[in-house]
Amino acid sequence: MLEDALDHLVRGIVEHPDEVRVRERNQRNGKVLEVRVHPDDLGKVIGRSGRTATALRTVISALGGRNIRVDLVDQRGR
Amino acid sequence: MSQSSVESAVDDLEPDEGAEAVELDEGTEEGADEGAEESEGGRRRGPRKPSKARLVELEQEGEIAADYLEGLLDIADLDGDIDMDVEGDRAAVSIVGADLKQLVGKDGQVLEAVQELTRLAVLRATGERSRLMLDIGGFRAARREELTELGTKTADEVKSTGTSVKLAPMTPFERKIVHDAIADAGLRSESEGEEPSRRVVVHPA
Repeated sequence: MLEDALDHLVRGIVEHPDEVRVRERNQRNGKVLEVRVHPDDLGKVIGRSGRTATALRTVISALGGRNIRVDLVDQRGR
Repeated sequence: MSQSSVESAVDDLEPDEGAEAVELDEGTEEGADEGAEESEGGRRRGPRKPSKARLVELEQEGEIAADYLEGLLDIADLDGDIDMDVEGDRAAVSIVGADLKQLVGKDGQVLEAVQELTRLAVLRATGERSRLMLDIGGFRAARREELTELGTKTADEVKSTGTSVKLAPMTPFERKIVHDAIADAGLRSESEGEEPSRRVVVHPA
């Protein structure tokens, strides 16, 4: 459910909704939701001073509890 | 392809720091709104009446927001109905339902986050920044009532003592409600200080 919720929230705010991928990974200290978006949308999901990323995390925590981390993954090659 | 977590983004996700950033940013953005409602040289501007074309835009904002929110409610399996309205020059959207505490959060923090994302969804769809006001489970409505009462009581106090009163720091949304109540009571008020400790000061007539 959380993956779907995050997917929906992100899809609605980016320019390339079809390229949004959310993957759930279980780690020892809790769940991690990894979000991948089109490189041009990365700034959009982070937002000014991380404001949008914070909003996403706040909503996901409210729905799923404290032990969930939301990671935005940078897919641009280094 | 090499992949790496965005360190700066992760840093920004630290809850405390992030919560503050949200409030500060909200302040700068909404501060202008609030200012427009404050008395300027003794002349108070009434609420702007949107033109017909603007009204259509605002209604459209409401519908985009409703779709986005409805999707969230469905996925999270939360029961809620969505009401849409236009208040002044903004779209107003409310989610009403029995058990929405989760989506309001402590001091409305989750509500602010959902509102922020909803505004971005509107921006994405229309290309225009939105000042849409979201309420969930009547949280803002209740806060409005409390603050109107506070404004009225403070106005009475200032009238009887003849001295200015400084209120506690509030968000722009909250200050605007107090300013309105003070003006309705026939007194003058202004905001002073910097966000997030900006506060309303009520002056005797």
